[in-house]
Amino acid sequence: MPTMNLTQTLVMGLIQVVAVLILIFVMVPLLTFAERKVIGYIQVRLGATRTAGGLVGITGSLNRGMWAMGKVPVLSILRGLPVFIADILKLILKEDIIPAKAERSVFTLAPIISVMAAFGVFSAIAFSPGALFIFPKGFPIVGGLPFMGFISDVNVGVLYILGLSSVGVYGIVLGAWASNSKYPLLGGLRSAAQIVSYEVPLTLSLLTPVILAGSLNFRELSIRLTTGADMHWLAAFPLFVGFFIYTTCGFAETNRTPFDLPEAETELVAGFHTEYSGMKFGFFYLAEYTNMIVVSCFASAFFLGGYYLLPFGLQRFIPASVPFLGQPSILFFFLKVFAILFAFLWVRATLPRYRYDQLMDVGWKYLIPLTLVNLFAAAIIRFAF
Amino acid sequence: MEHLLATIGRNMFAIFGVLALCGAAFMVAAKSAVHSVLGFLFTMLCIAGCFLALEAEFLGMAQILVYAGGIVVLFLFVVMLVELSKYKEKAIFQLQTRSAVIAVLIGAVAFLVAFRDIFFGNASSEALVLRPELAKGLNVAAENAQAVSRGLFSDYLLPFEILSVILLVALVGAVVLAKTERV
Repeated sequence: MPTMNLTQTLVMGLIQVVAVLILIFVMVPLLTFAERKVIGYIQVRLGATRTAGGLVGITGSLNRGMWAMGKVPVLSILRGLPVFIADILKLILKEDIIPAKAERSVFTLAPIISVMAAFGVFSAIAFSPGALFIFPKGFPIVGGLPFMGFISDVNVGVLYILGLSSVGVYGIVLGAWASNSKYPLLGGLRSAAQIVSYEVPLTLSLLTPVILAGSLNFRELSIRLTTGADMHWLAAFPLFVGFFIYTTCGFAETNRTPFDLPEAETELVAGFHTEYSGMKFGFFYLAEYTNMIVVSCFASAFFLGGYYLLPFGLQRFIPASVPFLGQPSILFFFLKVFAILFAFLWVRATLPRYRYDQLMDVGWKYLIPLTLVNLFAAAIIRFAF
Repeated sequence: MEHLLATIGRNMFAIFGVLALCGAAFMVAAKSAVHSVLGFLFTMLCIAGCFLALEAEFLGMAQILVYAGGIVVLFLFVVMLVELSKYKEKAIFQLQTRSAVIAVLIGAVAFLVAFRDIFFGNASSEALVLRPELAKGLNVAAENAQAVSRGLFSDYLLPFEILSVILLVALVGAVVLAKTERV
């Protein structure tokens, strides 16, 4: 890799940050659309699977043409799109209301903290182990430099990501407090208790791959776990258990069903964001879905093989000389990310919400002992075999 | 441009240090307890930035993870539950202003005296290691976590364990206090 001077480093960083932001702003709306569709099909909701626009505009002309041919209007994958577009427009255009009794500064700060914590995490996530492409020579300032698959290669990347995502809880708690209203406060307290509780098994379950690979660097950890020469085949078992523990805790950390007690609508109206409207609410929404993507990236990199095709040490059966399947690729990474995101939606459509005491029981009485046993097993495998 | 950026990069520690002090001042001066917690959070994040400027990545991240992510959340939790405005005793924070100022001045002077070599001498670019032989064979700048863990789990294992026992005692004490109050 050619050495860069300071200006080049900064400009390159800026380009990569913009690229990641574009990725987020493309993935999050698509994710919400996918959520409508998946849940629509699983629960037979008609809105997401039938709505195909009116008789005017682009969809309108398409519809009229389809009707004329005697077909159901619009391909099934596009049905529900009008609802989704209307939803985004509503988020952006809606009046931004700050309640009269709210604490104005903190009320505004809370969604910003949420979004910043969620986005900042991406600076240590490596989507691909190497360069994605090289800028052409004539390109201003950064010509001839490689565009890497990660923004920065932090030595303690795992800790960085864990730390920053634990800062995200402030958005929820402060927003809840600043609303100066009963339901948000209750929702915020629930959320803080839940996130602090589930952070323990989440961090412990991530220690399993850290122990097995002996690194805290996101990229290195992922590669060593999949293709490390000293990786015993038994290591697949703690990783397998760890994957399920991690995903469960990830659901709780992102406030998704079945752990979405902070926003249980039957009890708390909408939880911490009851008083929020317009784009401030949109920010919380954005942060939640971004966090889902982060959790999926983590699970993909540490438990499901990351940049390689097969997880749990199975990659060794495909020699590195095989052209596409044996090589690391950003496609494999995103394939797994999408699979886990689908699981998020699937679980939301299938499972009912936990009761609050059950939630705490699951966290403290079952998940933490299980992760400790798993960690112990991983340590034995690492040092005894 | 290049020169300016380099200057900023060299003085990152001072920048974060000043920001941390601003956060701390805001914490003391804030009227609302939640605002105080916010100032505290900002200070903690800036201290993590100071660690990063010193290439102590592991410590910086541990700072964020433990203080910003754990302890300050619990502070916020308690502050939100306790209705502080009920007491209307803002003076309670300011009763000790005079003694606090004196204590801070004494502390600052003592600190300057103790560390005058580091402040006014020639700064060394190497990492400050208590016992250099511990870091043998390690690139301390790149392998922070390994360097810290060697110290913690080999040479300073006993003090480390005693510390955790002290924490455990505090925990048990808190549980006992809470229980007796309820009965």
